[in-house]
This record gives sequence, C-alpha cells and structure tokens, in this order.
Amino acid sequence: MSRSASVVYVVVFLTTVLAAMPARAEVGGYGIGTPASAEEVAGWDIDIRPDGKGLPPGSGSVEDGEMLYEEKCASCHGSFGEGVGRYPILAGGEGSLTAERPERTIGSYWPYASTLWDYIHRAMPFPQPQSLPDDEVYAITAYVLYLNDLVEDDFVLTPDNLASVEMPNKDGFFFDDRPDTRNMGCMENCKDPASIEIMSEPSIATMQNEEGVAVPAETAQGGEKIYQQACQMCHEAGVAGAPMTGDSAAWADRIALGRDKLVSSAIAGIGVMPPKGGHSQLSDADVASAVDFLIQRATQD
Amino acid sequence: MFSKPGSGPAVLRKVTQEASKVDPAKRRDFLKKGLVVAGGAIAGVQFASTLRAADNNLPPNLPEWSKSLGSGVITNPYGQPSPFESDIVRRTVPWLTADRIAAISFTPLAELDGIITPSGLVFERYHAGVPAINPDDYRLMLHGMVERPLIFTIDDLRRFPSTTVINFLECPANGGMEWRGAQMDALQFTHGMISCCEWTGVLLSTLLEEVGVKPEAQWILAEGSDGAHMSRSIPLEKALDDTLIVYAQNGEPLRPEQGYPVRIFNPGWEGNTSVKWLRRLEVGDEPWYHREETSKYTDLMADGRARKMSFVQEGNSVVTFPCPERPLKQKGRYELEGLAWSGKGKIKRVDVSFDGGVNWRQARLKGLVLPKALTRFSLDWTWDGSPAFIQSRSTDESGYVQPTFAQLREARGFSSIYHKNAIHTWRLHADGTVTNVQIS
Repeated sequence: MSRSASVVYVVVFLTTVLAAMPARAEVGGYGIGTPASAEEVAGWDIDIRPDGKGLPPGSGSVEDGEMLYEEKCASCHGSFGEGVGRYPILAGGEGSLTAERPERTIGSYWPYASTLWDYIHRAMPFPQPQSLPDDEVYAITAYVLYLNDLVEDDFVLTPDNLASVEMPNKDGFFFDDRPDTRNMGCMENCKDPASIEIMSEPSIATMQNEEGVAVPAETAQGGEKIYQQACQMCHEAGVAGAPMTGDSAAWADRIALGRDKLVSSAIAGIGVMPPKGGHSQLSDADVASAVDFLIQRATQD
Repeated sequence: MFSKPGSGPAVLRKVTQEASKVDPAKRRDFLKKGLVVAGGAIAGVQFASTLRAADNNLPPNLPEWSKSLGSGVITNPYGQPSPFESDIVRRTVPWLTADRIAAISFTPLAELDGIITPSGLVFERYHAGVPAINPDDYRLMLHGMVERPLIFTIDDLRRFPSTTVINFLECPANGGMEWRGAQMDALQFTHGMISCCEWTGVLLSTLLEEVGVKPEAQWILAEGSDGAHMSRSIPLEKALDDTLIVYAQNGEPLRPEQGYPVRIFNPGWEGNTSVKWLRRLEVGDEPWYHREETSKYTDLMADGRARKMSFVQEGNSVVTFPCPERPLKQKGRYELEGLAWSGKGKIKRVDVSFDGGVNWRQARLKGLVLPKALTRFSLDWTWDGSPAFIQSRSTDESGYVQPTFAQLREARGFSSIYHKNAIHTWRLHADGTVTNVQIS
C-alpha cells in the first residue's frame, strides 16, 4: 500500500468511526431521540396532583359551573349528578361504603378534589375531550363539588384553594397488602360432601335472548358500523335531545328536509351535536353512510 | 337450557333469511351447507348429525373440494380464519356499560388452544374508543424528573435493543360480575377479560437510562393519547424491572385495539396500567391519584376502606373444557383442559376436583410454562354420566394457592369489583350440559 493510499484509508476510517458514534452520549449512551422543548412539554403536560401541582392559572365559580354543567354534563350525569342510564353517578352515597350496595361517588369515595379537575380537563365532555377552556374546568369542578355538598354556593375555585377542599373519604385508602387469603391446598376429604349446597346460579340470562346478543364489530357493516362507533352513544338514548334511533316520529320532519341536508348537518354539526358527532377522523362518506343507516332505521316497518 | 352465543335458533333464522334471497334452484344446496355450519355449532341438536350423515362429502364419497381447484395465492393478502369458524369472535355484554365507546369485549377462551391468544381475539377495553393514529404522527414524550427530556418517534424506539416476552394481559375486573354470586352463563363472560400474547418492544429501563432519572424520582405517570387520556401512576421500581414500551404483538405491529402504534406493558399487572396509545411518560416523586387509580381500580373492602395501587393479578385458573360453551356429548374418555396464570411468576401446579372441592387430583402442565403467562393444564378423565362440580385450583411459584370464594369474601366482602380470582365451579349435568354455579 502506498503512503498516500494509507492516508486516505485512515481518513476514511476515522470519518466512518466518528459518523457511527452517537451525537450525544452524555446520559444514556444511545443518543436516540430528540430533546423535548419546554413548549412541547407544556402542550402535553396536563396532569394535576393532589397537592395542586400542575394546575394552570384560572378560576371558576359554582354559579358559572351550574350553567356549563347543564349544557355539557347533565345529559349523561343528570342535573343533580344522579347519572342517566349507566353513565356515572357523581353525587350522593354518603356513608354508603359499608352498605350492601355501596355508592361510590365523588363525595362518598374520591379521596382528592384534584382528581376531578384533572379528569374533567383530561377526558370530558365524553364526546369532545379536552375542549373545555381552563376557566370552564374550574367552574364545572366547583359545581360538581357543590353538588356533593363539599363547597358553598358562593364558592370560587382557584389554583390556590383546590388542594384545600377536604374530601370526606380522603383517609379511606390503604396501599396493597395482599396476599390476604391463605388456602392450604388440601387434597383429600377437604370438606363434608353433604355440606355442599348450591349458593347461586346465573339469574340474568345474557345468552338466552339470542336477539339481544350484541352484534360483534366484525360482523357489522358500513353505515351500521360507523353508527355504532360514532353516533350510537347519543342517538340510542336520546342524549341531549338527539332524535332517537328508530323513532319514526322524531325523524319524520328531519327526513323531509332531504338526505343531503341531513348529511351536511351531520358533517357540520347541528345544535349541541359537534361536527361528525365529535369523530373528526370519519370521512364525509362515512358520515353519510351512518346517516343512511339512521334513515333506514327510522323508516323501516 | 344454555344456547351458545351467536348460534342456535338465531343463526338458523339468519340462514333461512339469507336462503330466501337465493335463486330457488340453488336454495336447497345453500340451506344444506348453511345448516351444516350452524348445526356444527349447536350442542346437542339432534338433526345436526343427521344432516352430516346425508352429506355427500363423507366416505366413501369423494368430497366436493377434492374435485375442483381452490383459490390462488393472495386471494386474501391478509389471511383470515376459515369461514366455518366465524363463530369464534369477541363478544360484549351490552348491559355492563353505558355505550360501546367506553366498554369491554371478551376473549372466546373456550374455542382457543395453546396459550397464545390470536391478536384479533384479544379482549378489548377502552374508555374513549379506538383512535386512528398515523405512525408518522406518533410521538412518545419522556420528561419530568429527568436530566434530559426526550421525544421519540417509532423509528427511534425501534433503534433501541428490543425485548420479546410472552405474558398474559388481564383486566382486574375479569370475573367481577361474580362477586355477589354466579351471574354470567358462559366461560367467555366469566373469565374472558384475559389474553396472552408475545409482546415486543424496548425495556422502559433502557429509555429511562437514556433520559437520566433524577435521584428523588419514585413514580412514573403513563398517559394515553386517546380521548380518555387514560393515566396511571406506576412505581419506578416496576418501571426499572420488566416494564416494556411495546410496538409489536404476536409478531406484527400492535393492533389498533391494543394500542397501535405503541403501548406500555406491565407484565403480571392489572391491564389498565398497560396504557394503550401511549403518548407521554412523566417521572415524578409522588403518585398522581388520577381517576383510574382512585374512583376506579381500587378495591372496596367490607369495612368501607379501599385497597389502592393493587397492581398484581394474583394466581387464578379455570377449566375451559368442559364449560358452558363446550358441553359433553357422550360418556367416555376425555382430556379435561384449562388455563392457569399468576402475575407473580410461573404456575407451579394445578389441582382439579370433580366433587366440588372434597377431593383433588393434580393436573398436568402442558407445553410452555412461562412466568406471568397463561399456562395450559389437562387431566385424563372418564365421564360416567354422573353430575359433577368441576373446579380447578392453581399454585404459583411464590406458593400462593388460589382461594375459595368463601376465603376471598371473608377477606374482602362483596363489593371489591376487581381482582376476583376465586376457584370457579362448573356444574356438569347428567345430560352433558355445563352451567356456572357457586357452591358452599
């Protein structure tokens, strides 16, 4: 190998080695990933802790909360937090935790008020998560605390007083201490055969009513499938005044407007219904197929 | 009498309805084929065997499919199960939840073999439906009490050394409907909130090393990117042990229902801690006490106090054959089968009783016996036609023995909802049918 060739070789070798080395090896050593900027973190860092850490500036009163709650929450949770259908009950149940049928509500069970702010902000209202401005989260939180008799009607919730709202069941929890059973694993004559009695058998027939068995998602087709994913929640139960599925009377006037009008309303949103029912991932054709399904259900028989 | 979900009269009606749309000349043939499919799924329906006997496909005849050509390659670019197995599906129980967006479906355990749950049959549990996530738009943020907060793309995550495990995934509410008494009439619904898959991803400890965890850190918040933004506090000790950031399941990218493109996975722990559609991990010094670790997923005791951070799925087991979906059709020799699992490690042994727990026989562990994985057991057995109370009882390598219902209720009362792992009883009737029952 000539001298000049070996120099080239060394240069190429060094360049290759340097290029293969991680750009940043300080902490982990792999040098994989992009630094997260303060702005990026701030946009996603939404969690609130019991000590109030994470709460953004803002405030909201019980009074403001009442209006917002009626508009955005009551259709599922009921005007008094009593729950509609199987949607969660928010209030009541005080002193019921040792009862035969305990009622686990915010007032009777939840240990921290911060959880309420965090959850409303994180996931509510159910069809439009993270749509509430911070002040509205404060106001609705204040109102739900009021529904549970935890604050007075003139209460205004702020980042400074949330951690001091005393929850009745705050001392009601203990860390996992299992195992809490001890089966000795007996193999023979473990009990008196004559003592064996049937204590219970299924009383609710989940299977015998064949028509009641849910159609698995895999077998649902087209508009019906979209309907199940995006529309059923409100239209099946008539949530927030939604015309109920299959209710010919409720749909007659709407259908009279024509399919195109119904489809465009469903895409753009109408009244309290958000655009595409809050399912922005759906194509316009998907929405139209669901509308067709609803029309079909309203006009059959 | 019990009817198998999706079969029986409803299926027959559907077949008849479909047949009415078909050209009359072909209808007879259609009906016959349809009924063979339906009949095969109906236990104890007499005419099913009659129809089969009349079928021209049986010996000494040459079956129809032997006299023609089948379909070519990539007729189904992504292969599907035989249409004759269309009854093996996830099912839900509509009255359990308010809607299908925040709901649960169950794995059809009775129809599965081995220990791996096919990806399409893994039970589903969401709180805001399945989001549609373009992997190009996916980011995982890791921040909080760390030296250097980082954001990872899918490609980033795949550059780290990967780990593959086989572990069960179980919702802690599995069987929760049975606390007050036997309620569900099929194995799918008494135990179907469980699955067992091969999971591939990067150890969370590797990512934590990469960002540098500060000394005062104790907990990690895992948060999903779906509408529920499901969040759970996970002790750092677990995160540094076997927690995975998973992107593949059973050899292919995660299914959307299982968190595509990335979920966190905590082996042996209650399923909700394995947050799907993971977007963010925050390192902190205290738990966050969010909704899913206070209002939900806490275990209320008889004295009104509640157990929190009850992560581990303790030892459990159930007989999968016979069971309500798979009754016995005749007397004679059988191989009883079942599944056992423990979030604390390997299954050490399983015992089976036919007399409601008076006497027990040790079962055989079949195939792979892996820590925190479904483990299949079996027992050779001759059924003489007598009614029986069939039970199974697992023991794991920590020495924990699955409790009786009485022991569990004595410790916790009736209102815990979660972590019901009591010994289960199937009542085998003289006609071979099997029903769910709780006995003293």
